[in-house]
Order: sequence, then structure tokens, then C-alpha cells
Amino acid sequence: MSVTHLPNTHYAGLLSAQKSPLIGQDLNWLANLRAKAADEFSDTGFPTFREEEWRYTNISPIEKNQFGLASKAGEIDARFIKSVLLEGCHHLVFVDGFYQVEFSAVNDVPDGVVVSALSESIIENEALIKSLLDSVVETPALGFINFNTALFSDGAVISIEENTVVDKPIQVAFISSKEGALTLSNTRNLILAKASSKAHIIETYHAVEDSCYLTNVITEVVVEPNANLSHTRLQAESEKAYHIGGVYARLENNAIFNQSNYTFGASISRSEIHATLGEASDCNLDGLYVGQNRQHMDHHTRLNHAQPHAVSNEFYKGILGDRSRGVFQGRIIVAQDAQKTDAKMNNRNLLLSDRAEVDTKPQLEIYADDVKCAHGVTVGQLDDTAIFYLQSRGIDEQIAKNMLTFAFANEMIERINFEPLREAVLDELLERFPQAGMKKEWL
Amino acid sequence: MLKVENLHVSVEGKEILKGINLEIGTGEVHAIMGPNGSGKSTLSYILAGREGYNITEGRVLFNGKDLFEMSVEERAWAGVFLAFQYPVEVPGVSNIYFLKAALNGIRKFNGLAELDAMDFISMVKGKMKDLDMDEKFLYRAVNEGFSGGEKKRNEILQMSVLEPSLCLLDETDSGLDIDALQIVAEGVNRLRSPKRSFVLVTHYQRLLDYIKPDYVHVLAHGKVVKSGGPELALELEEQGYAWVDEKLAS
Repeated sequence: MSVTHLPNTHYAGLLSAQKSPLIGQDLNWLANLRAKAADEFSDTGFPTFREEEWRYTNISPIEKNQFGLASKAGEIDARFIKSVLLEGCHHLVFVDGFYQVEFSAVNDVPDGVVVSALSESIIENEALIKSLLDSVVETPALGFINFNTALFSDGAVISIEENTVVDKPIQVAFISSKEGALTLSNTRNLILAKASSKAHIIETYHAVEDSCYLTNVITEVVVEPNANLSHTRLQAESEKAYHIGGVYARLENNAIFNQSNYTFGASISRSEIHATLGEASDCNLDGLYVGQNRQHMDHHTRLNHAQPHAVSNEFYKGILGDRSRGVFQGRIIVAQDAQKTDAKMNNRNLLLSDRAEVDTKPQLEIYADDVKCAHGVTVGQLDDTAIFYLQSRGIDEQIAKNMLTFAFANEMIERINFEPLREAVLDELLERFPQAGMKKEWL
Repeated sequence: MLKVENLHVSVEGKEILKGINLEIGTGEVHAIMGPNGSGKSTLSYILAGREGYNITEGRVLFNGKDLFEMSVEERAWAGVFLAFQYPVEVPGVSNIYFLKAALNGIRKFNGLAELDAMDFISMVKGKMKDLDMDEKFLYRAVNEGFSGGEKKRNEILQMSVLEPSLCLLDETDSGLDIDALQIVAEGVNRLRSPKRSFVLVTHYQRLLDYIKPDYVHVLAHGKVVKSGGPELALELEEQGYAWVDEKLAS
């Protein structure tokens, strides 16, 4: 990737000015990895919109804000934490990027299953962490990845034992405290689903106040043969925050990976979902983004069909009101050897205002000759015929519009099987989108 | 109940209806027949309040009130119901919620309290049974993935739940096999009452074998060219619409 700008001195400066000890600083391999990433970041800095992959998203506000590193977790009201924890889950809670043992609860996981914070178990799980860290992210790494590798303060490490099903989903909650304002947190999550295992991991992002901060999070995922991993991201950051989040997954043969992504928060957000698909693996990507005011929501997905017979199914929907802006860039690469690939990609956008905008760009790169690839993109407004139909049954125009807007979003939400999560996503939608006047009974 | 007076309508500068006169009395069943492009569907859309039509002349009175002064939903509240030729799919909105919102809208307008949820469900389930519809349709999105026949039944279900006073049925027989047609026709016949009027818009006489009209009007080239009793429909069936054109030419 060509770099066309000068590295940002503030953030490069943070790397050398980093005083408080980082986790695993005594581990040579990790210290070396961090140093290498820091060097690379010092050369490149964060990407700018002059780079093709970033042309629709200008992150200069992040540079201007000159966020400092959080050095410890701020105080947080236990009631707030409770309010964001989903019922029926194991919980790992991080505040301002630091693990909070007193709010976390991981009870009765099956034998051999690791659900822990990096900071708690980096010595104990060193071999596991070493095998996963920096093993799935793309190379050459983006500025945000290097920055994260150099500075990550904590994160979740999860390993599901072979032939094991973890019944309860594992929620990893990231919360920004009041003191977290004007800071940035770097967290790194490492997930390994060993052969023939099954689990559901839910990352959620929240803020106590409507404050301005930066979350830079990376999740690396390995799904071994015949394993079935579901992974969800619920991004409900403060509307003034910045959120850069990446999920990088490697699917081995016959693996199943279901990733779903719900974006409601942040002033500017960027979500990267990258997956490399092994033979006969199955990858499903769901996404919903709901923007209002001047929110900017950028979703990048990249599916690399590296081996034959893999199936991918991607469906992203966006609702954009006011002056919000959405970006969807969906890239599918089908390697020469990846015969019999079956890839579907669909992105549908609903614009609720004349000043809302969406840029959607499917990119298919197909090097094999016996494949099925389909993609569809729509950008539209509410369907007049449907509004008329509802009105003709005595539903007034505004309610008809609300119902259709809600229905557009709900089509994604009703695909969520785990009820507490479905409720949480619905609550975000209803709370953040009052202008649509949507109601839960419309389900 | 309904009085259409010298109605002229154009779409994008092209005149579709060229002076329609019709009077539908309370409790009467009228069939409007005509070849494709005669303006039949336009007429039903206009009455229901679809946008995109330019009413250049004439007026329509519904129970003495100017229909064109009323919004789409106001017409529904006042008792106008259009069973669509192509019922619209509304993904994400369940049939049950849709029916409830519609019925409560109408009840509110008429100064009635919202129906209790249990009463509502049992009332709807009873009507579904009459129409041989599976209860699972209640929880599916409105018309989404329904077959043609299921959509038409769903229209009749809505009509029987909302109990309008003027029912406009636009090509309700299209897409129905003979069994479904009989069920739908029975559903309509059950709703016939001295207080309720029907306008059946249809290309074919087939539907009229099951729903006997009191009056038949032939619409061609944007005008009512002939009106008569049920026998007119049979005449049309035998002679085809070419006969209408010949008549017009002579």
C-alpha cells in the first residue's frame, strides 16, 4: 500500500512516550513484535483519504483530537455495567481498555476452554497467545493495526477446546468511562475455535457519557476444521466517539464462521471484516448500520476465497437519516484454485433524507473459472407503493413510513437467534432512532 | 353511496379516463369489465387515493363527501377498501401487527376503543379459518413470499377484518386457481350486506360466476360504453371485447 502523507507526529510520539508498562513486556517475542509494529507505524502513520481504501472516510478529526493513551480504567457505576451485560452469557468486561475482574463472570465453562483477559493470563496462555497474535491480520498491516499491536493494553483471549460446545455465548464488553474522554484505547482480542468446536462470541461497545474518545480494536479469529463460530459486534459507542474496529478471520477446511455487525454509535466509525476461506468453509456476514445527525459509518469487508468449494453469503443493510453518511465496500477475491466457490453479496441502503448519503462499492476479483458470484446493491427511499398500501388500510402516512423504516432494519435484527442480543440490538435501534418513532410492537 | 361524475384523469399528459359516470347504491354489487388498458385499474386506484394521477375534471362523492378532499387513510377510515390486483409485500411487518394497526386506526376514527389483544386474535383466527388460511400467516411478514393465491386471500382477510362499507376489488380473480377462486368468492359473498357495496373490477366473467353482480358496466377507452344487468357479462364472455370496439365504431 502506498503511503502518501507524512506520519502523524502526535500518535508516533505516543509510541516513544509510552511510560506505563504494557502487558507482556517481559516476553521477548512480544516486545520485538511491538517494536517492529511501532517502527512501521512511525513510518506510515494512520491512513488518509488519499489512499484508495480510505477515500470515503476522512479520519483527520482523529489526528486533530490528539487523544492521549488511557493509563488505567476510570470509575464506573456498577449499574451502568449491568445495563449493558446480556443475560445468559459469560462476561468479560473492559473499561477504557483495561480488564475489570470484579464485573466479569466466566463460570462453568467446559474443560479446556479458555475465556480470559490477556492481562490475566498472558503468562499462563503464552503459547496460545503467541500462536494467534499478529497471525491473521493482513500484511502489510494498516496503520491502525500496527498502532494496536504496538500499544494494546488488554483484550480477550478465547480458545474453545476441540469437540466442545460452549452453550452460553461469551460477551466481551468494552466500556468507555467518564475519565475515558479524550483518550484512546487499544484492545486486541484473540479467538481460537479448535476443530469441531462451537461457540458464540459477542463484542459490545458502550460509553457512559456522550464523550469524545477513540476505540481502536482488533480481533483475530482462527476457526479450525469443522468448527462453528459465531461472532457478533454491537457498536453502540457515544455519538461523539471514533471507532476503528477490525475482525480478521482465518477459516480452515469445512469451518463455519457467522459474523454479524451492528453499528449505531460513533461520530466516525470504520469496521473491517476480513476472512480467508479454506476449502468448503462457510462464511456468513450480516450487517446493519443506522446513522443519523452527521454520523459517518464505513464498513469494509474482504472475503478471500482461497480454496475451492467455499460458500460465502454477505448481507449488509443501512439506514441513513439526517446528514449521515454510510460507506460499504465489499470485496470478494476468488483465487485461481478456488473452483466451485459460491459467493453472494448484497448491500441495501435506505436513505431517509435528501442530505444523507451512501457510497457503496462491491468489488469482485475472480481468478477461477467455475464459480458462482452474485452481488447486488441498492440505494433507495421508502417504497411509495408500500406506503400507499399501508395507508389504504387506514394506517396514517407517518406511521406507515415509520413501520417501513423499522421493518427495513428489523429484517436484519430478526435474524439474530440469541434473544438477549436481539433485544439489545432492538433497544439500540429504538433508542437511537426516535425520529422514526418506531415501536417494539411492530415486530 | 358512491357517485362518480364526469371523471377525467390523465397520467403524464395522456388521458386515461375520459368522463366516467357511475352511481353505486348502498348494498349493490357492480362489476366493471373491460379489456386491458381500458382504465379499470386506474379507476380503482383513483378511488383509493393513489398519487400520480392528474384529475382534470369531474368529482367523486362518497356518502355525499368529496372523496378527493380526503387523504388515503381518511378514505380507509371512512370505509373505502381496495383489494389490490398486486398486493404489496411489506417485509419486516408481520401480518398480525399490520391488521391490528389498520383496524385500530379505523376504530379510533369511529370513536371506538382499541380491541383487546385476545379478542382481536380470536376474531382474526375465525376469519382466517373461513378463508382456509393457515394461522402461521399471521406471523409472517405482510404478503412476503406469499403465492399469488395467498396474497389474494390475504386481501379478502383484511377486508373481512376491517369491514369497509365500499369494497373495491381489482382483478381479484387473477392468479387464483378454481379452488382458491371459490374460497375467495365465498369470503366476499359472506361480506355482502344491505349496508355494504362492492365494485368488482375484472377482465373476465369467471369471477362473476361466483359473485353475482347486480349491475355490469363495460369500460373501454376510458369511458363506460355500456351498462346493464348480469346478462351483459355473459354477452361479453361470448362475444369478446372486440364486440365492444365494433359497437363503438358503428
